[in-house]
Amino acid sequence: MKPFLTLLLAVLTTLGSLSSLAADYTDSVLRISSTLQNYNPSQPWDKSNPRSRRALAAVLDNGLVITTAEMVTNANFIQLETCDGEFQIPAKIHTIDYECNLALLEAIDADGKEVIAKLKPFQTAEPASIGDSLDIIQIQNNGTQLLTSGKIRGVDIVAGFAAGHYFLNYELKTSMQSAANSFTLPAIKDGKLAGLLTSYSSKDQLADLIAPEILNAFLEDAADGAYKGFPMLGVATSNTKDPHFRRWLELPQGKNGLFITRVLPDSAAANAKLQKGDVITAIDGHAIDKRGNYQDPHYGTLFWSHLVRGAKKIGEPIHFDILRDGKVLQVETKLARAPEGIIPSHTYGKAPRYLVKGGFVFQELTKSYLEAFGKDWQSRAPLNLLDALNHPEDYEKGRDRLVFISATIPTPATLGYESIRGVIVEQVNGQPVKDLPSLIAALKKAPANGIHSLTIDEQPKTIYLDATLSDQVDQQLVQRGLPALSRAKE
Amino acid sequence: MRFSATIAAICTFALTAATIPSALAAPAATASAENAEIYKSIVKIEVASQVPDYTTPWNAGHFSGGSGTGFIIGKNQFLTNAHVVSNERRVLITMHGSARKHQARVVHIAHDCDLALLEVDDFSPFEGLPHFRIGDIPKLEDEVRVIGYPVGGERISVTRGIVSRIDFRSYAHSRADMHLVVQIDAAINPGNSGGPVLQNGKVVGVAFQGLTQADNTGYMIPPPVINRFLTDIKDGSYDHYAELGVSEFPLFNPAMRKIYNLAPNDPGVLVADVSVGSSAATTVKQGDILIAIDGHEVDSSGNILMDGERVNMNEIVERKFAGDAVSLKFVRNGEVMEKSVVLKTFPPAQMYAAQYGKKPRFLVQGGLVFQPLNLNLYLSHKLNNPRVRKIFNTYLKDGFYEKHQDVLILTRLLDDPINASLGGFAGNAVETINGQKITTIEQASQLLNSANPPKFLEITFSGVDRPLVIPTKDLAEANQRIRENYGIHSQQNLEN
Repeated sequence: MKPFLTLLLAVLTTLGSLSSLAADYTDSVLRISSTLQNYNPSQPWDKSNPRSRRALAAVLDNGLVITTAEMVTNANFIQLETCDGEFQIPAKIHTIDYECNLALLEAIDADGKEVIAKLKPFQTAEPASIGDSLDIIQIQNNGTQLLTSGKIRGVDIVAGFAAGHYFLNYELKTSMQSAANSFTLPAIKDGKLAGLLTSYSSKDQLADLIAPEILNAFLEDAADGAYKGFPMLGVATSNTKDPHFRRWLELPQGKNGLFITRVLPDSAAANAKLQKGDVITAIDGHAIDKRGNYQDPHYGTLFWSHLVRGAKKIGEPIHFDILRDGKVLQVETKLARAPEGIIPSHTYGKAPRYLVKGGFVFQELTKSYLEAFGKDWQSRAPLNLLDALNHPEDYEKGRDRLVFISATIPTPATLGYESIRGVIVEQVNGQPVKDLPSLIAALKKAPANGIHSLTIDEQPKTIYLDATLSDQVDQQLVQRGLPALSRAKE
Repeated sequence: MRFSATIAAICTFALTAATIPSALAAPAATASAENAEIYKSIVKIEVASQVPDYTTPWNAGHFSGGSGTGFIIGKNQFLTNAHVVSNERRVLITMHGSARKHQARVVHIAHDCDLALLEVDDFSPFEGLPHFRIGDIPKLEDEVRVIGYPVGGERISVTRGIVSRIDFRSYAHSRADMHLVVQIDAAINPGNSGGPVLQNGKVVGVAFQGLTQADNTGYMIPPPVINRFLTDIKDGSYDHYAELGVSEFPLFNPAMRKIYNLAPNDPGVLVADVSVGSSAATTVKQGDILIAIDGHEVDSSGNILMDGERVNMNEIVERKFAGDAVSLKFVRNGEVMEKSVVLKTFPPAQMYAAQYGKKPRFLVQGGLVFQPLNLNLYLSHKLNNPRVRKIFNTYLKDGFYEKHQDVLILTRLLDDPINASLGGFAGNAVETINGQKITTIEQASQLLNSANPPKFLEITFSGVDRPLVIPTKDLAEANQRIRENYGIHSQQNLEN
């Protein structure tokens, strides 16, 4: 019997030492709950049903707390709570970047600041390698921590939140259990914050993490209080896999790269005098392959966009080897932000601008407006608006934003116009409509004949609004519960 | 404009082979001798058809068949629906109470009003049978009889109903035309199509379609449409309906009426658009106010009073023929003008009309399949590219069709090493080939099959940032391979 007992003891001691090895992070994470509310796309004066989200945020230096942007986008209310449930801290956004999906929070009041100051801040980790092990932190209802380890399976460039914005991402193979407060979770390597979990598939047992490079770049940028954001090149590209296309481009064997299909005006690419038809063969000395990948010294094969958005800051120089008409050229430029264009890629954190006049509802076109048409929005949304989204260059002239009539409320002033919706507004009283404020300004001036004329892109081309009648109608709409007739500020 | 979107709810009632249910025939009732004589002039029409497949346009299509009803209206003249005999390869006519099938052929077919005139090789067995006369349009609540050969048995069937509505509605067969229809509450069933609707021994309609989600609603083609068809073919050929080419916008809005100086009771509808190249193109302008058509006052919603009924002003044009004149009275910049417009057909509108009896046009080069856009193509390929949908929807706007007689779509790629990495281009509309803007399939064929081809074929697509390029050197070899592998006996068909 004796030997058996000894063995049992030995096992117990081993277990004990293991759990003492696993660090306790309950002093370094906070529960976070947020209440989010978006604007109603078809009635932009209304907010839609509020939703709640709960997650874990990681404590950093200087009383700041980090989580994903998605967690606090359009939040009316953010509250942090210590793991033991002792303190509840109302919080606000310090810095948010919807593109890379990160947000820094801070306590609103002094009491809250004091509580956070007493917590143990995380340091951020150095980049990890494929095959490295990371720990995901979860906190159970009783306040104890739950650590799940996983291995980095791969590294990729992923648009995690805002569509079209691609950033470095770790793919982690792990088997997590469901627990409260898990909308996003911190991932730890050697006691340091190595990433934030943005999605988990229990079927594939795969988690996506925002990589440490992105965390660090975001924090560095936010440190001085004047957040600039990640740079953009401002090109649309196409790969050079197609062998016929390669021969047509006269790309020699072994030379690969990205074919530029479009250059955004006023972008870093435009400053570098990159042109449609150029082939980017190398960026900062990294050769680009047929698919647009380069060999990263740390991660191996990686998509080129990381060389711009992740590896570099705004204002830093970037160097391109290009092939133009069969000639090799080298160009250099300073990285910058690219202009938003007339249809913004996202409108998170912004209230949609609108105007109600006489019953016509005017808005500025955004992608989220079209997406609100449902899962098959690309077949259900109005065709002219879809075309503007897909080909903004055809609509840019004279516009900062694309103003359209999203709906027509039946009123005495819109009699006969009830079927007008989804039409692009070109001019008001002979003035081109540049954006919503310019429309508001144009409609404020009473025309000589007392009738506003609006030029639209569909039949009957010109529609008319009686100025006096529409003012009366507007007052009635306010009496019937419309909170405001316009919102000129985003 | 009378082109309407597709109406899914309306179905035509030709009986297809696949849908004949095996119901038991009820014993036939004894009919009067007079009726028996009439019945003999109502014939069963059996059709074997060959329907082209727009997804594999080089193939022969699928063979199928169906049946409907027809009736004698003159010496060797059988009237029926166009949809009964569309895409026909063999037409057989059977007399009531006879087993003999008579070989027949289509003499005139009008897909836009769903009527066709047939003749038999040998009319002698039908000699002496009564000929139906076309009567007047029935009135609301009149009782009518529908006679034909619908599902449920082999013999002739008679149903009775009353006229429940007279309206302007879509004709499902072409999917693009609207004409007068009469709705009756008699059961019209598959196989009834083309059969006469009788009142006092005269034909007051041709049974032709029903509604899928409503009971007791049958539709018939009324005498004005039948008579128009019979008049049109008198010269030996059927011309399409003529079009005015004006789209109207109602003048209800008070501010709009003020701008145009209209008193509350003034007549007139706004001309919202005039199709380039249409009948009215050189006469009427966008922004004119149309106040009368052939002396009928046009109201603010575009309706006129005709035979005591308020109908759309296009009813005037409906009853006329290409070459006829119509008088338009309109106000332009405060000045009243009256001008005569000679009507003509408007072929570009065929973009939205289902095509029958035509071999699909196509062009294959290097495994790239190009087909001109039309309704058949749009539906069979389920084209969903937003730019192509926009082109389809705005084809008649701003004279777009003048520059693009054919809008060529790269509908698919027949996978082959020569086009291995070009799959992403499928579903787009061709803009240029080797730098030339494409307006017809013939022109595309010439450019793609040039005797002295450039090193590469360069094809650009509307709204696509980079061109498709394909080397011409290996094309002949690839075409040979693709023809053999995919069973394409002909690389193109440029004619309907």
